[in-house]
Formats: sequence, C-alpha cells, structure tokens
Amino acid sequence: MEPWKLEPAHDHGMPLEQRLKSVRRESGLIGVAAHVAWWRAIRIYLRTVHRLKVEGLERLPTEPPFVLVANHQSHLDALILASQLPWRIRLRTYPIAAADTFFDSNTSAAFAAATINALPMQRGRGGAHALDDLRNRLAAERCVYVLFPEGTRSRDGSMNPFKPGIGMFLAGTDAPAVPCHIQGAFQAMPPNRRVPRATPISLRIGDPINFKQSPNNREGWTSIARQLEIAVRDLAGQLSNSTSSG
Amino acid sequence: MNAQTRQRLFGVNHALDSGVVRVFVIAIVGIFILTPILFMLLRSAGKIPDKHYEELWKRYKSWLILGPMMTVPVLLGAFWTILAVGILSILCYREYARATGLFRERITSLLVAAGILAVTFSVLDHWYGLFTALFPLWAGFIAAAAIFEDRPKGYIQRVALAVLAFSLFGVCLGHLGYFANDRDFRPILFWLVLCVEMNDIFAYISGKMFGHLKLAPHTSPNKTIGGALGALILTTTMAAAIGHFVFRNSTVDHPARLIMLGLVISICGQLGDLLISSIKRDLEIKDMGVLFPGHGGWLDRFDSLILAAPAIFHLVGYFRGIGLDQPARILSGN
Repeated sequence: MEPWKLEPAHDHGMPLEQRLKSVRRESGLIGVAAHVAWWRAIRIYLRTVHRLKVEGLERLPTEPPFVLVANHQSHLDALILASQLPWRIRLRTYPIAAADTFFDSNTSAAFAAATINALPMQRGRGGAHALDDLRNRLAAERCVYVLFPEGTRSRDGSMNPFKPGIGMFLAGTDAPAVPCHIQGAFQAMPPNRRVPRATPISLRIGDPINFKQSPNNREGWTSIARQLEIAVRDLAGQLSNSTSSG
Repeated sequence: MNAQTRQRLFGVNHALDSGVVRVFVIAIVGIFILTPILFMLLRSAGKIPDKHYEELWKRYKSWLILGPMMTVPVLLGAFWTILAVGILSILCYREYARATGLFRERITSLLVAAGILAVTFSVLDHWYGLFTALFPLWAGFIAAAAIFEDRPKGYIQRVALAVLAFSLFGVCLGHLGYFANDRDFRPILFWLVLCVEMNDIFAYISGKMFGHLKLAPHTSPNKTIGGALGALILTTTMAAAIGHFVFRNSTVDHPARLIMLGLVISICGQLGDLLISSIKRDLEIKDMGVLFPGHGGWLDRFDSLILAAPAIFHLVGYFRGIGLDQPARILSGN
C-alpha cells in the first residue's frame, strides 16, 4: 500500500498539452474512470473477438514495481499485456510508447494518455533524459511498465533482436522483468492494417527475472537485453510446442 | 414543479427584467468593448511598456472567456447558475486535490466529489434542511470511510484535507449557488461577484498607491496593509451604494446593513485570497493551476468568493431571508 504524501502532482503547473506528453503525468479521478472503462472494454474485446488464451498468469509478481517485456507484433500488444493485470495494478501500469508515433499530435497524445495511460519514450536524441525520468518513476511510484525491446513492430512476424535500452530501465533496480511472448497478434493486425482481423491470439508469461546485480553500464544493459531476448524466445518455443502438441 | 419554479430555473425571457441586471450587462459589454481601445490608446501614448501590454492583453483574453462564463448562466436561469457553481466547485476541488496530492487517494477523493454533487443536488432541490445537514454528515462519512482502508499512517492529514476541501468547495461555494433559489437571484449574484472582483482590484490599486507595510509577508508578499484598508473602504462604499438598488424595498436596504454587507464582502474576500495563498505557500507552489494566462487556475481566480459567499448568504438570509417565497424540495418533495 502506498504511503500518504502531501505532495503536488508531479505534472502540476504544466499546461494540458504538455501534461499529456510528459513522463511525469499522473491521472486523477476522471483519468482513472476513463482507464477503468477502457480496460474493461478491451478485456471483453480480446476475449470475444480474439479468443485470447493466456498461460502463466500465476507467474506475475503480486506487487509492483515490475516491467512486462514482450515481442512486438502489432498495436494490440500493449493492450494484450496490460489487460491481464489485476485492476488494482493496472491503474499503475504504463505502456511505454514511441513519442514520435503516439504523442506527435495533441489528439493522439490525449488518446494514448486517456485510454491506455501510455508514457512517451523519445527515440534517438533526447531519449536519455526521458529514460532517466522513467527509471526513477518506476522505483519511486512502484508502478508497472509495458515495454517492447525490439524498438518497433515486426514487419514480417518474426522477432528482432532486443535493443540494450531495456537494460537501462532494469540494471541495478529492484524491479524484475517479466518475459512474455505474444503469438497471433501479427496475423490479427500486421503493420499495414488499421482494423484488426478476428483471429486467435495467445500469450505466454514467463518467470520474473531480477537484474539487481547487473551493472548499470553498456555491458550490463547488453547482457540484460540478451537474457530477456533468450527468455522470450524460449517462451515462443514452448508456445509453438504446446500449440502443435495441443 | 409549478410555473413559478420553472420560470426561476429556466426563465431566460425574464433575465433582463431587473434594472440592476440591465445596467450590469450593459456595463460588462461596455467594458469588454472599451478595454482594448483603451489599451491601444495608452500604448500609442507611450503609457504602457511592451511587456505590460502583452500581459494586459493576455488578461483581457482570459476575461473574454471568464466574463461570459460568469454572467451567461445567471442570465439563463437558476438551473444553469446552480449547475455552473457545481461545476466550478468540482474544478476548484480538482486543482486543490492535485496541488495537495489528495487525488492519489482515490476513495477519499471520490467521496469529496460525491459530496459536492450532493450539495449541488440539495441546492437545486431548494432543500435547505439537506443543505445544512450535509456538512456534518458528509464530513463524518469521509472520516468514517477512511477507517476501512486500515491505513492509520497519514489518516489525520488525509481526512483533514478532504474535509477542508468539502467545506470550502462543496459547502462554502455551494452557498453561491443557493442564492439562485431567491426570486431576485440575478441582481444579488451580479452584485456579490462584482464587489468581490472589484475588492481584489481595489486592494491591488490601493496597495500600489499607499502600500508600504506588508500585510502578511510570509503568506502573500505583495499584499499590503494600505491595499487591504483601501479595498475595505472602496468595496464597502461600492457594495453599499449598489446594494441600495439591489435590495431596494427590502429590510436589507438600510445604510448600516448595507455598510455591514460591504465590510463583510471586503474582509471575507481578502481572507479567502489569503487562505488559498497559505495553501500555496505551504505546498511551495506559485499557482493552483495553469488554466488562464495571467490568472493561474480556477482557485486563483475564485478564491475570494469562497468565504464571502456563505458570509453574505447568511447575513442577507438573517436580514430578509433567501428564497423563502419559493417552493422548496422541488425535486424530492411530493
């Protein structure tokens, strides 16, 4: 349970458009109501339209902070992952989204903030500072991030190598990473489709991995990325095995 | 609901029946038209530096939004007035909750918001019994509900902040809406809001002219004793003079009573301002919000009404009553 703090919102004093694009954004009652309604609708949608099958739900940590890490096949991925969390945790869950895609206009920023509660991640220059803010927030607020270390969606359905940036979130922190593998999302919504197809999707959740002992330097980050990539590829193998055997 | 009540709630066709309201509306429209002309004349005469000119324009543009937001609901009828005050109360609470961190306490915050809605309902219903009962009942409810979190660390501060919020933005501001249950609510509300706003301006101007001694330097460094006394004299004079026309032929229309109303508006207006300044200094923030350029947030703009509204409500109520000839419990009654 979070301790009480007499402390202004971290985005206090920012104009609305700046708030929506800030990694320090905090939701109030209206924001929470919007998120609850959104996630309820998404859960129903995934269950009915995509017949979402989930394995390993019991492996999720019961308390934040932690980071959900998965392969990136489509725009449905963040919805699939975050929707599996209990609502108490989901209200403190932030998918990390590319700022140049989801926060490039006020309308898209408002949508990303009001619905999935996404936080922007700058790609390229300017990203390091935002990444520091995100890393600090993960520890200070005991929240959950949803991250896709490939950096972008797969163009052909296959998994790309994980970028070391994921290590910068996790090296030397108490927050474990939970590897997850999504299958079927590419078929449902490849990059060239705007509306998803009603095809089945599966999610497999792996055991949390802690990187508290990992050095917070390039070597440590690369090692974390490699370990997580292997863990997700392992889950992919299990998933394809269980699918073929099932 | 009878025809008289419907007329009060939605009777826009009678909005300008009162001569006082007509003068107010003409004055407001006139000020909006003349102000930019005055700015341009002063600038061309070199009386306003460029920096101040930009700032004045920002403030003027904010007033172009604020002015209609404050006057149009009152002209449209009591229903819209009460609704507007209810929305204002929620917006003020939102700023306060974000400034204090109370917004992170979801259940407590929801209860404060629900309490404000309950007050707004009692005002709309013209159910004075419920309106007065809500403060003790809801304050107790907030305190009791927080027990169930089983989180004693910080309990006093969380509950005290929530009860303070409910009392200031629910109950105190709710009195502003309750004026709308009076048959003559339009002139009374225009008079009250005008006097409170002018009180701020009088304090600023008097402070610039005579302000040497600081009033409360740790709370609000720019406020001076000269400004406070100047506002007291000027606001009282203005409130009494205009109040004579607003309350004509009623028991309020007596020099001593009108002067008392003016003094109360000025003192409570300044105290409301200092109250919000105290909260801001405690939290080490400059403004409560960033909604209006040059004004800060809703609370920075309407802080002077928080204490003035209930004080004037009860004073006028004591002298002549408010809404006594209007049907009560229009929604909940039989």
